[in-house]
Amino acid sequence: MDTFTNPSGLAGFDEWLSSHVVLVTGKGGVGKTTGAAAIALAGAASGRRTILVEVEGRQSFSRTFRTAPWDYTEREFRPGLWGMAVDPTDAVYEYLDHFYGLKRVQWVMEKSHALDFVTTAAPGLRDLLLVGKIFDLEVRKRPDGRRAYDLIVVDAPPTGRIVPFLQAPEGVTEIVRVGPIKRQARHMREMLQNPRRVQATIVTLMQEMPVRETVEGVAALRQAGVAIGPVIANQVVTPRLQADGSAAIAAMGRDGLQRRIQDAGATISGRTSDLLLELVETHRAQVEQQDVLRDELAADCATPVLTMPLLTGSSFGADDIEVLGDILSMQVGEDGPHAREQLGDDDVQLLIDSARPAPGTDA
Amino acid sequence: MTAASQGAVGDLAEDVRSAHILVATGSGGVGKTTTAAAIGLAAARAGRRTLVLTIDPARRLAQAMGLDGLDDAPRRVEVPDLPEGGELWAMMLDMQTTFDRLIDRHATSEENAAAIKANRIYRTMSGSLAGTQEYMAMERLHELHDADEWDLLVVDTPPTRSALDFLDAPRRMSSFMEGRLLQLLIRPGMAAGKGVGRFVGAGASAFMRVAGRVTGMDLIEDIGDFFRNFEGMYEGFKQRADQVLALLREPTSRFVVVTSPEPPPLREAKFFLERLEKEGLHAAGIVVNQIRPELPRDPTDAQIDRAITAQTEDRDGQAVAGALRLLIDVRNVAARQRRDVSAALYGVSVPARLHVPLLAGDVNDLAGLDRIATALTTGEGR
Repeated sequence: MDTFTNPSGLAGFDEWLSSHVVLVTGKGGVGKTTGAAAIALAGAASGRRTILVEVEGRQSFSRTFRTAPWDYTEREFRPGLWGMAVDPTDAVYEYLDHFYGLKRVQWVMEKSHALDFVTTAAPGLRDLLLVGKIFDLEVRKRPDGRRAYDLIVVDAPPTGRIVPFLQAPEGVTEIVRVGPIKRQARHMREMLQNPRRVQATIVTLMQEMPVRETVEGVAALRQAGVAIGPVIANQVVTPRLQADGSAAIAAMGRDGLQRRIQDAGATISGRTSDLLLELVETHRAQVEQQDVLRDELAADCATPVLTMPLLTGSSFGADDIEVLGDILSMQVGEDGPHAREQLGDDDVQLLIDSARPAPGTDA
Repeated sequence: MTAASQGAVGDLAEDVRSAHILVATGSGGVGKTTTAAAIGLAAARAGRRTLVLTIDPARRLAQAMGLDGLDDAPRRVEVPDLPEGGELWAMMLDMQTTFDRLIDRHATSEENAAAIKANRIYRTMSGSLAGTQEYMAMERLHELHDADEWDLLVVDTPPTRSALDFLDAPRRMSSFMEGRLLQLLIRPGMAAGKGVGRFVGAGASAFMRVAGRVTGMDLIEDIGDFFRNFEGMYEGFKQRADQVLALLREPTSRFVVVTSPEPPPLREAKFFLERLEKEGLHAAGIVVNQIRPELPRDPTDAQIDRAITAQTEDRDGQAVAGALRLLIDVRNVAARQRRDVSAALYGVSVPARLHVPLLAGDVNDLAGLDRIATALTTGEGR
């Protein structure tokens, strides 16, 4: 692609998706799940055997992709893209079966509410089991010796819970002093702290609170030894006017704007013209804030910032996530055919341009 | 723009004047804390002595209320121009303090309380046992209710994985305490004694052997030790959980379900409203937060397209074209949000359904809270 320059500085899929696992986190309500789905679609589009993993049991993916509800079985729901929902209860049974051949214990555990105990009372055990499942997917091999999945995208717990989640192996080793769990916990920790195996990506909105939480989250994850991938800014508003354009509209005033639009053959009331003036001003402030926050993110997180635009279609579904995945891909210098087809080259260009760091802030 | 023209009905004015407890609930990131604070402010302006119990306020919101730090003790918020009797107070839930107090109150003796508080399972449990935070919020609410110092208590619920966890917390806590496995840990002999129990008992001791092998036996001992110490307190806990539910069922206790105009939180909101009805709890209303105000339909989309093409290449022409593209963007998003809201809440009947418009920037001062308070109590979106 010559037309679209690469604003992130990441050299294609190979640099962006270089780790085996991408943990996607973010504050509640910022679009963490959408981000995870977009990354997984980009991964599959890049030719990687990809699995999308849900750990919080919300069934968001099955709704978005209009599939049957997800469960512990890994299913290929699109070519090259698998999906599963990990439930700690299933993980316990698999664990006991695998290590102790204890199928018969399952019945007993169901009858005795033993799982309430296993997954809630023993501190961190639930998270340990979930991380353990991710570990299991990451080390699993195909018969020919290649890894079972090239890319594992996890819709991980929100920022506030991600560090305790990832530290579950450590926490457990403090409490559990002997036995196989302690050994496995060490292997999990090694995986989590190896940048070729795991990276964390934080999704945020371009608003003060989520951005601050992102900066804090990045610091906490680094502290925990987890490699940080690009931050993803979600619902970024496409800049329709530059600063001088906004000033020009303000100078026209309500009547000037109304006249120009009417001269172009459109009927517009004074009231709508008034509202439009307001919208332009709000838009200017919002675009300005986005730019400020993007620079802040890039500087404070010391990591590239990728952008997912606020799509303005009449509904939001799997197609839109494909567009978002493409737009992410284009920001690392790859092609994005769906995005170009759906939005048109002009709008895509506008989006990619607006994702570029402001002059002078190049990393 | 009036609330009626936005399809919203009713408001929270009456609840703010007459309720004794208002619980703001909903999924994470939808603006529960801000809504709770705005409700508190509206009540203080209606002349009531109001306390907002929050879980984890955004720092700037706390500052907006003139509070640099919030802690377990209620603090007075300085609000100018409040009528006679109107006061706004705020506090933050401190889990550990509340849990410790609960132990002190229910423990059979001081030694018993000390033994529990020293147990390492207890020390880690407060953060990890599902529903503990929710339970503690309810516990603290009941304490404040007992203190009988407030006309209105506004509760901001924790950012739970699911809004429903909150309702299940008291029950889950007490059923957990009664769980057979715990009984087994405390009195292995008895649980294995009778009927089906013998089966379960035999299997469970197999489980215990495995658990011991997997985790190290000292963990199992610690847990047993913890729950043995806890034993005398079950009854008190259970009673308390029942009291909390009874308090929440009173007609003066009402729930305000908060959501954003996005489908996932809307779905949660609907589930939650259905749950409230099933549980015999009272909904004050649903608040759809940060919704884009609806725009008039003039000019038509086709006219706009033509007008964009007709614009000149100079700065002013391109500015007008940009403004028109912006108009289409915003109109599309506003229409999508309204469709999503109507589709998600189709057939849902609540006393009030309110739209709080998207405000430019974050709400971080009393003026911002006042604007939301006005939207909530008058139904006026703008």
